[in-house]
Amino acid sequence: MAQPQQPTAFFVRGPSPFARLIFFFALSIVLMAVDARLHYLTEVRQGFATMLYPLEVVASSPIRLYRYVTGYFSNQTTLMRENSQLRLQLTRESVDLQQLMTTNNENAHLRSLLEIREKLHYPTKLAEITHIGRDPFVHKVDVNIGSQQGVMAGQAVVDGAGVIGQVTRVYPFTSEITMITDKSLAIPVQVERNGLRAIAFGHGRDETLYVPYLPANVDIREGDKLITSGIDGTYPENLTIANVKHIDRDPDSPFARIVCTPAAGTDRYRQVLIITAPPATPQIETEPTTTSRKPSRHAPRQH
Amino acid sequence: MRPVSISQIYLGLLLALLLYLLPWGGFGLLLRPDFILLVLLYWLIRAPHLCNIGTAWMMGMLVDLAEGGLFGQHAIAYIVAAFLAVVYQRRVTLFNRWQQAGYVFGLLLIAQTVLLILKLFSGGELPGLAYYLSSISGILLWQLVIYSKIKVTGDKELG
Repeated sequence: MAQPQQPTAFFVRGPSPFARLIFFFALSIVLMAVDARLHYLTEVRQGFATMLYPLEVVASSPIRLYRYVTGYFSNQTTLMRENSQLRLQLTRESVDLQQLMTTNNENAHLRSLLEIREKLHYPTKLAEITHIGRDPFVHKVDVNIGSQQGVMAGQAVVDGAGVIGQVTRVYPFTSEITMITDKSLAIPVQVERNGLRAIAFGHGRDETLYVPYLPANVDIREGDKLITSGIDGTYPENLTIANVKHIDRDPDSPFARIVCTPAAGTDRYRQVLIITAPPATPQIETEPTTTSRKPSRHAPRQH
Repeated sequence: MRPVSISQIYLGLLLALLLYLLPWGGFGLLLRPDFILLVLLYWLIRAPHLCNIGTAWMMGMLVDLAEGGLFGQHAIAYIVAAFLAVVYQRRVTLFNRWQQAGYVFGLLLIAQTVLLILKLFSGGELPGLAYYLSSISGILLWQLVIYSKIKVTGDKELG
């Protein structure tokens, strides 16, 4: 009768919010550490990303429908103008192409005379950009082909104007491309004018690249074209990367501050080419006793 | 106030996720409000017995998956905001419209700041003040929700 009564819980609320907060906070921290340091979650991520794929298709369908409709109703004059423009461009380029054929033959001949290995042709795959990054401060784009179509992490991505970036993450039907303007990406470059080699880094904030660690009196001028050097085993050589925008030669600093603007831009084209075979890396003659090195996550895989 | 069913909540969250997955680009990306967090906060304040910190965490993980960023960064940002919403939930339901909007704006800012700190830790660049534009657009969207008579609190408080 005189039992001490338990205070009645009028509102059933489960564990206290603070307990929940601590539990999920700890869980997130653990996941974060596992993801960032140990890279165990790649498969889990791929699985869940595949589950999200139908949602993405649904979400991007209005835009696709809009493009389809506007494409369908684009008028005759626009098409004719575009057509004549393209015809002109084709004529101009086919002249160049004829010269290129001759030059290629000549080059092959000279190379065989000099006994240098033939330059390779790189097979490419056409991909279409589906998303331009969901995080405004990371320079990444998503394209519509993935591991099912033979895309692998580490492959170079180019468009008509030059290098765009590198495939960094591959899902079954989509892949993620980190652009050269991203802070985490570095690309070996060569100045086209004098063959000077350097490494360019993405700036991260604005759409620029910078070339650090070059002495103040370095022979680079504004307007110089930077091309890939091809010595990294990821990017084929002689692709345009960027143009030097301005050089800051501060007398107090031993290094020149070189700012470049990328030649290619995802804001201009929706189609990109993924170079599906990495350039042949020179086979280094190693002694059989050396242990095989583990390929790093971003390095191109050899076949 | 009509009772809320759990399917209503998940439908709202799914719609928010779809809006988030739309191909945003350029300035629109900077302006994009955090739809998912807004929907979460709405349900957290209205029906904390159905939508709680666990729901916020799950949605945060989904966002991280879709964004391809570090696992768990959005999850942490969302659970911190959800915690603050749930702890003062009973008080918030008694606030008037403008007080509620102010409180939600604070939560949006806190979530973004938490996310910013996590991004800086993982080696991100310090973004400009434009980073907080999405909170402002978020609170404008919240006003829209309130004015369209989908009320968070009972009729008496809102009038």
